[in-house]
Amino acid sequence: MRPLDEAETTAVFEKLFKFTGNNLKNIVENPSHEGPDPNPGRYCFRLHKNRVYYVSESLVKRATNIARPKLVSLGTCIGKFTHGGKFHLTIQALSLVAANARHKVWIKPTSEMSFLYGNHVLKGGLGRITDSIAPGDGVVVYSMSDVPLGFGVAAKSMQDCRKLDPNGIVVLHQSDIGEYLRMEDEL
Amino acid sequence: MESQNQYEVDLGNLLAFNHSHHFPSLPSSREELVKECLEEGTKLVQAIADRLFNLPSTEDVDGPIVTLPPPTTKLPRSKHLPKPKPPTKWELFAKKKGQLYVSITDEKVLRYFAGIKKRKKDKVVWDEQTGTWKRRFGYDRVDDDRDVPIIEAKMTDEPGEDPFAKRQEEKKKRVAKQDKNRLQNLKQAAKVGALPSHVQLAATALPITGTQAAPKKFTKHELGDVAGIAATSTASGGKFDKKVPGEKAPKHQGKHRKFLPVVEGSGIGSREKEQTDKVLNKLFSKHSHEILNVEKAVTAYNVKREKKQRLKHNKNVEDKSLSTSNKLKPKKQLNKKSAKKGSSKKGKAK
Repeated sequence: MRPLDEAETTAVFEKLFKFTGNNLKNIVENPSHEGPDPNPGRYCFRLHKNRVYYVSESLVKRATNIARPKLVSLGTCIGKFTHGGKFHLTIQALSLVAANARHKVWIKPTSEMSFLYGNHVLKGGLGRITDSIAPGDGVVVYSMSDVPLGFGVAAKSMQDCRKLDPNGIVVLHQSDIGEYLRMEDEL
Repeated sequence: MESQNQYEVDLGNLLAFNHSHHFPSLPSSREELVKECLEEGTKLVQAIADRLFNLPSTEDVDGPIVTLPPPTTKLPRSKHLPKPKPPTKWELFAKKKGQLYVSITDEKVLRYFAGIKKRKKDKVVWDEQTGTWKRRFGYDRVDDDRDVPIIEAKMTDEPGEDPFAKRQEEKKKRVAKQDKNRLQNLKQAAKVGALPSHVQLAATALPITGTQAAPKKFTKHELGDVAGIAATSTASGGKFDKKVPGEKAPKHQGKHRKFLPVVEGSGIGSREKEQTDKVLNKLFSKHSHEILNVEKAVTAYNVKREKKQRLKHNKNVEDKSLSTSNKLKPKKQLNKKSAKKGSSKKGKAK
């Protein structure tokens, strides 16, 4: 376990910025009320075996007592670094990202299951959508009952979305909560 | 041929020997020796010239041309005699098989086997399919795998296999096997020292005589590493040793990457906070142009302004009826102020 160095921090923040925008500040400077300390500490990012964890300070301090090969996980894992040095967000970042998301998409109940199996969101399945979405923006996908289902990348801008035929892809799938069942081993 | 003064002249090499000359005593100085040599040399050259002009000459534009007779002196060989090549594996096999032997299938029939003969192959072969003479190998050859249009299925074929691909793969395997055998033959020849000369020239790694291993070349990098290891393998890690003249301080001592401590103070330390804030600010400033949607702000402002104007109009309509001049006025003001308001909003967002 070690803190991220500058290059790694930039990579992680860039990815989060795509989804949250300015709310990234809220994520980084979140006061955490875990631990016996009356003063709220902060959350920090730690790297352990190519995975990035979002942990509160008090937890980090206690985790230093565990040997590195024996430590499995701490806090919430938000993503992984690949062998080539790129950073990917995993589904466990959903709670963090959904709370601070800038662009949201609500999908109809009929296409919920399709999304949860890993397919992209088609225009026919769109319920509501926040405006001013540029292509390539990070988007959080909700069900109509405001349950976050996953996140993805916007394929087209708002205007282009309106012109699409009902089978056009609106949101490219990146992660969904179905992965907890499908890819249990890889999380 | 020996002639006057017992000079042996070999016209083919333009050479003249004086067998019976010997220096009476070593001359005292170098110049005297040189003088004497020159004198003797001139006599020999004169002998060659005499002989040359005695030869029958033909007239040419540049002067008389003389064809020299073949040389008579036997010069020593510059290179060694070629060593006999060891027979290749095939040659050994052919020799073994080729020994005349008699095979008796039954008492009445005797079969004779003449052995494997080396047959000369022609460069062009008659191709039945096209009715022309085609090469044996190379471009437009006799039996090319690509020319086969149909391969009939046999009982032994599996349904999913591609027979064309199979043929190509088999050919590749055959070629690879042949290459391997060729290399093995060359290696055997190299062991004896009888490599063909063009291969010997190409094989710079192989030694010309003997079978020592080629000396391993060390790169500057490797030498530097080894020198570093040697320098630090003393009791005190090489710290107090006198440096050899020209020896530089070792590069890359200690850790190559620096990381922040895992826990500083209680959790996040000041350095880590600094780092995260720095990265965050960089990120925000990079994307600051995206934060404000200028068009949206401008349209929102315009809508607001229009509403205000409309309220004003409704008030004024009760007093007097206004013409189109009023309609023009708000538009003008909007063009001026929108740019200003947009820039000020940018400041606010930061």
